Amino acid sequence: MEMERLPGDDFEDFSSPLFIAWQMNAECNLGCLHCCEEAGHSLPDEMSREEIFNFCEGIRNLNIPYMAISGGEPLLHPEFFPVCEYIREGNISLKVETNGEFVDKKVAERIAGLEFRSVQISLDGATAPVHEKLRIRGDWEKVMQATRDLVGGGVNTEIVFVPTKLNIHEVGPVIDLAYSLGVYGVYTGKIMRIGRAAKNWSLLCPSPEEYEKFFTILDEKVKQYDGKMKVYYYPYDVIEELKYRLEYPSASLLVLPNGKVKLIGPLPFICGDVRKQSLEEIWERYKEAWRKPEVIEYTKKVIDDHSLLANANRWIELY
Amino acid sequence: MEFTKHVRVREEKFGSVIFETLKEKVFVTNETGSSILRLLKEGKSPEEIISILDELYDSEPQKVVRDEVTDFISSLRENNLLE
Repeated sequence: MEMERLPGDDFEDFSSPLFIAWQMNAECNLGCLHCCEEAGHSLPDEMSREEIFNFCEGIRNLNIPYMAISGGEPLLHPEFFPVCEYIREGNISLKVETNGEFVDKKVAERIAGLEFRSVQISLDGATAPVHEKLRIRGDWEKVMQATRDLVGGGVNTEIVFVPTKLNIHEVGPVIDLAYSLGVYGVYTGKIMRIGRAAKNWSLLCPSPEEYEKFFTILDEKVKQYDGKMKVYYYPYDVIEELKYRLEYPSASLLVLPNGKVKLIGPLPFICGDVRKQSLEEIWERYKEAWRKPEVIEYTKKVIDDHSLLANANRWIELY
Repeated sequence: MEFTKHVRVREEKFGSVIFETLKEKVFVTNETGSSILRLLKEGKSPEEIISILDELYDSEPQKVVRDEVTDFISSLRENNLLE
């Protein structure tokens, strides 16, 4: 049966993106083994203060409803709070993804005042040794305290857990711990073979049996916390996501710290630069780029040969 | 009536898009839905909306307009998009 295509079914129906994911910086105090962005040091060409605010003005002008700020570690960026204030003044729903190491009571209070949609904290273990084995230079105690401070300050707080061979066995205890901390939800899904995770793939990638057990535990936890805390897992891996996105690209843009705009995290394609083009122009390019034969062919190659995901951060400019 | 805290509404050529950003769910409406949303944003009550749309779509019987507005607002409430 052929389904009728309704307006709004397709990303091309929208006048501008519905969501902006912005990696504000590349600087990070940690060196996580599974970091998709290979974060650590700043990029040499990150956006200036003026460029950042021009970009954010474009987001406000286009009435883009929702934005996520991540890094690197975004709280290390000197413009983090001014940007968040500006975005929230525009009534844009804002989610911030952090490792939690720079959140104390004072920071939590400031965040609470800005009424973010949420703060997502990475927690990769129910115990310090497991979390810190994966999150190099990480401090589990600080993450615990940050979560308590955020929840105590009334911030909608979420935990993100990335399963690897080193921590997958702690998924159940992490969810229980999250509940005891009073968070709004726990989010997880299969690790993506991108960035540093791709380099450490043999060390990190859980076996099919480990994943099977992982999803069984998740199903149990979804039921256990039904109505009390959101337990959400994304059931697809990055290849399944690419297959889907090839047909149904999302109405979102992924903006890098230097202003370049990627089609999607797992692919190397760049379709614009917010320092050089308006968001309207980039949106048109984005829509066109997904239909380019070179993008379709390369994506199909990645689907056949997963090792090509390791090239996701070796950018290819489409224009 | 107000939209719930994390709801954002944007008009599009085809109507409107409603983004419930907490649950990360997207809803779309046609132009009539878009008119209702615009009037809700202006703080109009369901009765006022029915009356305004009844005038606007005078070829439709009032009952049809009333049912459409009522159903639409119920659907917004069911999806926790309206307070």
